Formats: sequence, structure tokens, C-alpha cells
Amino acid sequence: MEIIRVEGLRKAYGAKEVLKGIDFSAEAGDIIGLIGKNGAGKSTFLEILLTLRSYEQGTVQLFGQELNQASEKQREQIRQQLSAVLQPTQFYKTLKVIELLKLFKAYYQSPLDVETIIADFKLSDHRKTYFDKLSGGWKQIVSLAIAFLSEPKMLILDEPTTGLDPHMRNMLWMYITEYNKRTGGTVLLTTHNMDEVELYCDRVMLLNEGVAEVFDSTEGILASGFKSIHEFYLTQVAV
Amino acid sequence: MIATQLRYDLLMFSRELFYVVFTLIVPPATYLFMGALFGGFTYAGNLSYAQNYTPSFILLIMFGVVFFSFGFDQVMNRVSGVEKRIALAPVPKRTLLLSAILKSIIVTSFGYLFVTLLGVFVYHLSLHWVNVLLSFGLFMLLNAILLVLSSAIFSFFKTVNGALVFSIVTFQIVMITGGFAMPIDRMPKFVQYMAEANPLYHMNQLFIAVWNGQFQLDRASIISIGFIGSCVLLALFALRFATRRQNRK
Repeated sequence: MEIIRVEGLRKAYGAKEVLKGIDFSAEAGDIIGLIGKNGAGKSTFLEILLTLRSYEQGTVQLFGQELNQASEKQREQIRQQLSAVLQPTQFYKTLKVIELLKLFKAYYQSPLDVETIIADFKLSDHRKTYFDKLSGGWKQIVSLAIAFLSEPKMLILDEPTTGLDPHMRNMLWMYITEYNKRTGGTVLLTTHNMDEVELYCDRVMLLNEGVAEVFDSTEGILASGFKSIHEFYLTQVAV
Repeated sequence: MIATQLRYDLLMFSRELFYVVFTLIVPPATYLFMGALFGGFTYAGNLSYAQNYTPSFILLIMFGVVFFSFGFDQVMNRVSGVEKRIALAPVPKRTLLLSAILKSIIVTSFGYLFVTLLGVFVYHLSLHWVNVLLSFGLFMLLNAILLVLSSAIFSFFKTVNGALVFSIVTFQIVMITGGFAMPIDRMPKFVQYMAEANPLYHMNQLFIAVWNGQFQLDRASIISIGFIGSCVLLALFALRFATRRQNRK
């Protein structure tokens, strides 16, 4: 089942065009890595999919609904089905972890039990900690726990493992892959860690100067003669 | 949903020491301190200290709450990325806005009650129920006006530091030129001119008059109403501009 369909997407900030005709699609259950240099347009692309930004040209369909033609009510219904971990991870700083989870449970009208989420994400020791007092890694975990509260059909992660130690990174990926297997949810993420892309992603889109230069399966890229996704990236993207 | 959001909004307000100090502690403390200094004076309209300054300090609390915990909070949430994350959640914008307005009304009403009780118990202020009802009605209207002004002003800020400096400086200017510290007619001429350009000064004059049952539709009150109305129109225009700019993103 197709979750995302993007055709000829263009986006500019004033005179600067950051997306120059992107074509993209994602099926239910895909894990797709979006890679490219800083400023390549990755975050803008994700924010358009998240209904946070407008676009000038092209079509963007989420769950069969064209975003530019969606009413505010339809956008709310789309948001009900997606969730995200943004960069930087920020929530109300004077709320405790348990309070944030309860507030977002109310937003998403989630049937999930907050205590189960706390147990699943090993947040028991931090349940009464203010969000602002958490370390960067735990902020990411809380953000992911909040993202999973809604059991989203699509999860968008903007550099989710940046700044995490290897244990935290493993833990985060464990949750993501487990979610993907259990719910068949689609995951779309940006990262600068090419090993993660190779290990966990089904497909890769390389964005360069606002152009989708490559959109292929991880196996397809490796089969084309690259020893690793890391080598592919270094070969394709100039400094 | 609105009840849950409001509960957490009030909880967050109570945990922000900066807001609580500037809105619920500094104005009442200043009210008592000024009363100790000038409590025996008589003010314009033959009013006692409590009759003149009880409505003034209620208005000052309202200003503090609306500017800090509504306007400044908006900038903080926008700059830190909280606004973006909340925008992603399927919670209607009107729910968030309504909750912020209700929070402001609840906190400022608490300030209204607190300063009024201080006036009654410390300065033996006598209340007339018609004036109390009328002034509470005006208080709600001024609350709405300040929310519009605050939203418009803070929509221009892109950094927390800029908004913070602006808030603190504005608080001082409003204190001095709004007639909250000393009667404006006893201030230097340039301060009197500045006061004329301060919407809080006009609100203060109207609120004192209604509170004490002295309101008359004369030249001064028409100028005050006209000036406040113009500020609201400008603010609505600025908000429309900000919304368009936001939609173009």
C-alpha cells in the first residue's frame, strides 16, 4: 500500500530554490534513509511531508490526500496518522516526562497505556524528571516514546541518533525496527551516519542541491559496485 | 481536550519562577510598598491611594501575565521548536489558543481578587457591587485587548533574548509612563508626553474611572478609547501580516 507519493516537488525560500523537482514514493513498512549534505533540502522535504511547510509546485500525497488541497480538518486527520522526532528535540521544558506522555496521549487520543510506554522505553527512572533536565539521549528516547504513543502509520525522524552514545543509538534503533516489524509502519529518516543507513534502511534517497540524484534500494546501490553506503556517499557527494 | 491543555498550561505557568515573580509577586509587593510611602495622599478625582492604585495594580498584573506568560511564551515556544512539534500533533490550533486565553483570564482574575482583597484588608477599601461588576466587565475587555496587542508585538520577535530585553524594558516604561508608580501629572513634561503614547496609560485612566464609578464620556475618555481602538486595529493588521508570512513558509 502506497503511503507517500511525491511528484515534481519544488520549494523555494525567497529567491533560493531548495527543492528542485523531487519524485519520491514510500510503501507501508518501508524504512527509507534520506541522505545528503547539510543544506541539501532534507529537513525541508521532511517538513513538507509533516504538513509544516507549504510548497510552490508539484504534488505531495499522504495516505492518498493531496496536501495542498487538504482542509485544516483533513490535515489534522493526516497528522493523526503520522509522528516525528524533530531536530532539535524540544517539548515543554517545565513538564515532567510522565506529564508530557499524558498530554500527548490526550492529543492523539491514544488507547495505549502510558505506564506501558514508560516500561517499554525504560523511562521509569526519569518519569518525574523535567524534560529540560534530561540528557540529549534521553530527550531523544522520550521524543520517540511520544512518537510511538500514537501508533503512527508513518514515522519521520530527523537525524534521530545525532549526539547519542552507541548504547543509546542501539536502543533507539531497536525501538524503530521493532515498531516497523510489529505495526508495518513506514519510517523515513535523515542521518549522516551511513552505517545506520546500510544496516537498517530498505531504500536510500540521496539529495544533492535540492535534486534527488539517487533513489534506490540499499542492495541495489551496493550491487552497483560500492563496498558500502559510506563509500557511495563519499563518491557521489562533493565536499 | 481543552480541560487537559488548560491544566498543563496552568501547571507550566506555576513552574516558571520568572513569570510568577513578575506577575503575581512584584505588583502586589509594589502596591503595598507604594501604599506605605504614599498611602495618606489624595489623588485626582478626590480618590484615596487604594481607590486610585487598586485598579492600577490589577491592570499591571494583567499586563505582566499577558506580556510574559502569553506573548513571551509564544516567542520561546517558536524559537525552541516546541511550537513546531505541537503543530505536528492533531490538536486543533483553536484549542491551544483558547487554553492560553483561559489561562490568562484565570491568572489575571486571581490577581484581580488578590489585589482587591489587599485593598480591602490593608487600606479598608470599600466596594460597590455595581462598580465591581462594571470594572470586572472592563477588566475582561482589557484582557482581550492586551492579548491581541501582545500577540501582535511578539509575532515580530525571532530570538528569545530580543523578546526578553524588550519585555523587561517595556515593563519599566509601562510602570513609569502608565501611571502605576506616580501620578503622571506630577511627572516631568516629557514623561507626560510619553504617557499619552502608552496604551496602558489610557487603559489605566479608564479602569480607575470605571472602578470608582467616575466614568464620563468626555474628551479625555474619548481620546483614550480612540487611542486604544487604534492600537487594536494596528495589532490586528500586524497579526494578519504575520499569519500571511507564516502561511508562505
